[in-house]
Amino acid sequence: MRRTAVLVAVIVTALLLQTTVFPELTLLGVKPELLYLVTVVFAALRGPAEGAVVGFVGGLAQDFLLNMPKGITALTLTMLGYTVGLARQYITSPSPLLPAVLVALGTAGGVAFHQAVAFLLGEEEDPFSYVAKVVLLTAVYGGVLTPIFFPVLRRAAAATHSGRVVHF
Amino acid sequence: MAIRQRPRSARLLVVTLVAVSLAIITVDYRAGEGGPLEEAGRAVSSALAPMQKAVSSVVQPVSDFFSSLAELPSLAERNDALEAQVEDLRAAQQLNHELVGRIEDLEQILGLQAILSRTIPARVIGSGVSNFEWTLTIGVGSDDGVAVNMPVVTGASDGPRLVGRVIQVTPISSVVQLLIDRKFGVSGTLSTSNEAGIVEGRGEDELRMELVGPGVEVSETEPESVFTLGFEVNGEPGLYPPGILIGTVSRAFSEPGSVDSFVTIRPAVDFSTLQYVLVMVRGRAGDESP
Repeated sequence: MRRTAVLVAVIVTALLLQTTVFPELTLLGVKPELLYLVTVVFAALRGPAEGAVVGFVGGLAQDFLLNMPKGITALTLTMLGYTVGLARQYITSPSPLLPAVLVALGTAGGVAFHQAVAFLLGEEEDPFSYVAKVVLLTAVYGGVLTPIFFPVLRRAAAATHSGRVVHF
Repeated sequence: MAIRQRPRSARLLVVTLVAVSLAIITVDYRAGEGGPLEEAGRAVSSALAPMQKAVSSVVQPVSDFFSSLAELPSLAERNDALEAQVEDLRAAQQLNHELVGRIEDLEQILGLQAILSRTIPARVIGSGVSNFEWTLTIGVGSDDGVAVNMPVVTGASDGPRLVGRVIQVTPISSVVQLLIDRKFGVSGTLSTSNEAGIVEGRGEDELRMELVGPGVEVSETEPESVFTLGFEVNGEPGLYPPGILIGTVSRAFSEPGSVDSFVTIRPAVDFSTLQYVLVMVRGRAGDESP
């Protein structure tokens, strides 16, 4: 119950910030992808299963606010959460920059995958140069924002803990 | 044992979630507009709208403060210019009062009141969630009389300027697709040459209007304005009333010997500073709403 409430609060806050605050704070006209950031951080902290669940729920919530077939973001973030969660198990770097690097790489890969699926469904009409710009800038922006959001998300991830200690 | 089982259960979970996502994509893609997931989308939007209203009312003054800081050096100059404008406008207002009275009389005589649009004022409470869609969320919805496909404009001294159209309504909020969105199209006409064509959104780039006729001369000193055309198709009026300003022509392209020519149009509205809009209520709007 507490786990669900924390998860919903994190996703709703991310969507609110994304639609009200960050349209005013764009990086060269590009908004960050906060749900990609949330998914990557949860996956890195809690493993592939939790990453996939957070990605699916957050992605579906974002899908409902988009004017394109629902489910594309859910699919993207499910796979992103699972992939980052798996990859994290093989990374032993103690660098404090690791979450930011993971978010940047994850966002770039995720946004590119999302637009590729949209393209296959005939929904993608933006020129390649614009897609490339968004992929690059959302990755950079995500990386920059990670140190700001990471402490809060780490506490939220700890609150979703079921009580058993699970090491990944 | 437990350690071995966990990756397998995570894999099973992710396979299930991916399958569910693919099923949702398929169902929603095949259903198109008005599919079973539309209702869920409206529920999410209307749950988020009150929070967006609250956050934007806090964020807006802060962002206004910072943008006014940036404009500080030019404020004194602008103030002088505005004072001069106020004087001019006072004189014009006198004349307008007389004219409005005469127009009202004439409208009554001609029975035009019912045809003219009624507008619903609305505050912008949020922007689109994606970098690939250009939309706004406004704080009025079906409870206020807003329906899908209603045109959205801003008021200006020289008449309404096109912002976009309503694409989703909840009881308390609506989503407006901006005219710069790549899925947006409206028939437009050039003010002086009377050329007509479809004006299409191009995202970050300027709008583009394909022309049926041969190329247009673009004057740099007096840029040509583009207005909505609002013609009838099969006896049905178009979505947009005629005469709403879309923007001004910035460049014209035409290949010699080819019938293909197009112009690029700078939108009349600055979408980044938009805070209030007007939704135009017309008879036709809402016909296509599910």
